[in-house]
Amino acid sequence: MNFREQRENFRNKKISAKEAVQEALCKVENDKLNIFISNLRDSAEKRAEEIDNNFEKYKDRPLSGVPIAHKDIFCTENIQTTCGSKMLSNFIPPYSSTVTRNCDEAGSVMIAKTNMDEFAMGSSNETSFFGPVGNPWNDSLVPGGSSGGSAACVAANITSISTGTDTGGSIRQPAALCGITGMKPTYGLVSRWGMIAFCSSMDQAGPFARDAFGCAALLDAMASYDGKDSTCSKRDVVNFENALAEDFGALNIGIIKNIEDLGINNDVLEAYEHSKSVLQQLGHTLKEIDFSELSSGICSYYVIAPAECSSNLSRFDGVKYGYRSDQNNISELYMKTRSEGFGDEVKKRILIGTHVLSAGFYDAYYLKAQQVRRMMKNKFEDIFKDVDLIFMPTTLDQAFEKNRQDSDPNRMYKEDLLTIPANLAGLPAISFPNGFKNNLPVGGQFVGNYFKEDLLLNTANKIQEVTDWHKMTP
Amino acid sequence: MDKIELKNLLFLARIHAEEREYPEITKKLTNTFNLIDEMNNLDLQGLEPLNNPLELNNVSREDEEKNRNQKDKFLDQSPESDDDHFMVPKIIE
Amino acid sequence: MAQNDTVINGWQPVIGLEVHVQLLTNTKLFSPAKNKFGEDANSLVDLIDMGLPGVLPVLNEGAMNQGIKFGLATSAKIAETMIFDRKNYFYPDLPKGYQITQLHYPIVKDGIVDLGYKKVRIHQAHLEEDAGKSMHDQYDSNSVIDLNRSGVPLLEIVSEPDLRSAQEAVDYLKKIHQIITYLDISDGNMSQGSMRCDANVSIMRPDSKEYGTRAEIKNINSFKFVEKAINHEIKRQMKILEAGGEIEQETRLYDAVKDETRSMRTKEFANDYRYFPCPDLVPTHISKEQIEHVKNTMDELPEEKEKRFKDQYKLDDYDSKVLCAEKETAKFYEEVVQNCDPQIAAKWIIGELNALLNKNELSLADSKITSSNFAALILKISDGTISGKIAKDILEDIWESGNAVSDIIDSKGLKQISDTGEIEKVIDEILENNKSQVEAYKSGKDKLFGFFVGQVMKATQGKANPGMVNQLLKDKLS
Repeated sequence: MNFREQRENFRNKKISAKEAVQEALCKVENDKLNIFISNLRDSAEKRAEEIDNNFEKYKDRPLSGVPIAHKDIFCTENIQTTCGSKMLSNFIPPYSSTVTRNCDEAGSVMIAKTNMDEFAMGSSNETSFFGPVGNPWNDSLVPGGSSGGSAACVAANITSISTGTDTGGSIRQPAALCGITGMKPTYGLVSRWGMIAFCSSMDQAGPFARDAFGCAALLDAMASYDGKDSTCSKRDVVNFENALAEDFGALNIGIIKNIEDLGINNDVLEAYEHSKSVLQQLGHTLKEIDFSELSSGICSYYVIAPAECSSNLSRFDGVKYGYRSDQNNISELYMKTRSEGFGDEVKKRILIGTHVLSAGFYDAYYLKAQQVRRMMKNKFEDIFKDVDLIFMPTTLDQAFEKNRQDSDPNRMYKEDLLTIPANLAGLPAISFPNGFKNNLPVGGQFVGNYFKEDLLLNTANKIQEVTDWHKMTP
Repeated sequence: MDKIELKNLLFLARIHAEEREYPEITKKLTNTFNLIDEMNNLDLQGLEPLNNPLELNNVSREDEEKNRNQKDKFLDQSPESDDDHFMVPKIIE
Repeated sequence: MAQNDTVINGWQPVIGLEVHVQLLTNTKLFSPAKNKFGEDANSLVDLIDMGLPGVLPVLNEGAMNQGIKFGLATSAKIAETMIFDRKNYFYPDLPKGYQITQLHYPIVKDGIVDLGYKKVRIHQAHLEEDAGKSMHDQYDSNSVIDLNRSGVPLLEIVSEPDLRSAQEAVDYLKKIHQIITYLDISDGNMSQGSMRCDANVSIMRPDSKEYGTRAEIKNINSFKFVEKAINHEIKRQMKILEAGGEIEQETRLYDAVKDETRSMRTKEFANDYRYFPCPDLVPTHISKEQIEHVKNTMDELPEEKEKRFKDQYKLDDYDSKVLCAEKETAKFYEEVVQNCDPQIAAKWIIGELNALLNKNELSLADSKITSSNFAALILKISDGTISGKIAKDILEDIWESGNAVSDIIDSKGLKQISDTGEIEKVIDEILENNKSQVEAYKSGKDKLFGFFVGQVMKATQGKANPGMVNQLLKDKLS
């Protein structure tokens, strides 16, 4: 059942919030894919009853009566929040993130918290301390990452919506690999308060749903100005669900010249070509654009993200909360707490980040990476003088086998080649299913100008009105 | 990166590793730096470094107290504490 | 540039100070928890001060305004855009594993502090957060952490190496103390750590064009220790250089108990703070309007007050300077002169009252002297009700008891004699005993009139009503 039907059923009193929640919880409990880190049956049932008892109050809210799963990166008051790490496996925050609070306000019921790559570092959900997640289409394949659990949760029809975060593609890539719709909003549209930081200048929370409609409604709930986040945008938030009905007319859509040279596999390219023809059928004009800088995003990203993470993760030291390795010497306590509490990928990125910020290397790495970032932003600004949106595949490949990382880690990093540029520039992007090959979904994405979420959602929705890829289920 | 440099880096990051793990760690880091070093092929002259994509003006708040004492909650959550403090092994200055 | 009188045994000391000042604000630099000293451990701690995951800093406008004030007070450049950086290091009382500070784009740059005999340049003053406190004495094998201080706003004021002696360093520090307390930027309490000082000290030959290698002395927390620590360090460096050795660039700790500086244990690895712009805070623009607003709400500076005192109360340079040295004294003075003669009041505050304060090592606020009672005393002096000698006695009485001036006069029988008969009796007796002076007066020596008044007052222990004494004497001598 998709989000829209589920919400309609609640609003028409065909199903109560409690019934919807119980049905979803039943699926959570039968999950064989390791999608969840915690199951919140008690609090969920209580909350659902509260919503049912106050039906009039909640019925018109954007997420009224709909069960939701949150990525375990969002702090939830008095509920375990692990970020997929041993370091926080016992952590109970005394506060809630703005995102989860907003979703509660919007009438949704949190039923579970989803598995993820440790501290959101990974593209396959294999770095989680709680084990890998299986792809609902084929459980020997990865669901993508880092928001792998949230994407799998919607793909497996357990909930109709879920939340994720996207630092280098962590919403769009798993959305593509699981065959659902996922969106990374403009940096600053959604508050980062209470969302455990990986790379503060790129992290952005966003919605997962089967279709653009669900994403629009969930984004309506998630986005708000928040005085507790100094990087949050103060602009008035538009109503994205209403924007779906608007007519933005015929668009100029940018198509990247020679994109096939970037190592994208043929099945993905085939779906991409097909989508281009759909866009033309919808009356849009395709304009070829030169974007040779696109692939330079990766090297910059693997400096900036580790640099910020090395600093952001310094607070995990075993002194105030979280895991501690008991030692009788303070220096040993630090060293062992952090080597035992963090997994290998996280430690590797901390080391890279520490190195690129250290004396003598700062200019050669960190400063240069920030210049690449400027280059990327300038390039996008140029492109958006000529086109309304850019269309490209979301990923190089479809869902891949587990344990691929072991053979070639850089191949895994390059998996984010097409998603990273939007993060570096802080632009909004939406990934949606646009094909089906080898019994697996394929994803394509739009990247738009700053705060053009309404246009992205509207255009994706128009495609979904004439295609069926988003309706396929495992 | 030689052994001393790696040891220094591990210490700066406060991550423990046995010396026998050094070659494996070095290999992984080198691998990533090979990817990063592609940056050196770019012409970046004259580009102002960009720290934050939105280039907003920072916000500030009024100097008003808005905090409740959560001492007990914080101390309960900590790995080791007495009634008033967080505790760690003795710091020798 | 080197002044000869600061050269010691052929060596010119060169000193720069880094002064950390805790700002007077209601809340912390990035969290809404209370900024207060001496509260129950860990009771003033917000999620942000705990460095919990996912929580974010938001800048306190009050702290920013304090920084702007300091910039205005030192004729400095106030940043159009200031940027916060992270300084990364691990320590148990640093909850985030980094301190938010300002490295390249501080709030204040290029100020001047005028010591009267020389101008000292301020390199910069930047905003940063204080760390918590670690304590090591409670348990045998544990240290404990109190995070109340974590996140308290600091202004770090960095001077250029313009100071040439320990005395100049002390004068500079006192001037900084005067500015920050005058403007309520800080309470400046060194014993509670609201003002802390590190000194960079080097020595060179007076004709040298290059500074020597410097040592940084940390942890100096009183004016007295600043002088001692610097002088000690100068001597240490002279000894090394004269023996042909080299100064190591290092951080040294001042030990007030042993009166020595000692090297802080060299760490296994050098610290590398890995500064980078804090991504949770974007560049902060400071508008002309905001600066103007701060300027308009800012209290008078010491120099401005001195000038006004000279104009308004007709005081000389010295008196106005002494009265304005501390804001508390100046405020007291202005309260007193609302109702009495400004010059007599100045004289009595600078003289007798200051002497009492110094003798007892008390501040005005801690003494029993109130401005209204003190003004009452000055009034009695200026209208001639009591003599200076009696006034002194009364002041000492107030110092001890805090009683009202009029009560003291009543209870001690210091009340003036206004009975004509009684005064006449005394005058007659004095004229009888000083016949030759009476003759001299009558033959034109007018100045002797004062002598007779003095004699009458002496005989009445200063209690005779001076107006009546004058009138009666005039009548009898005519």
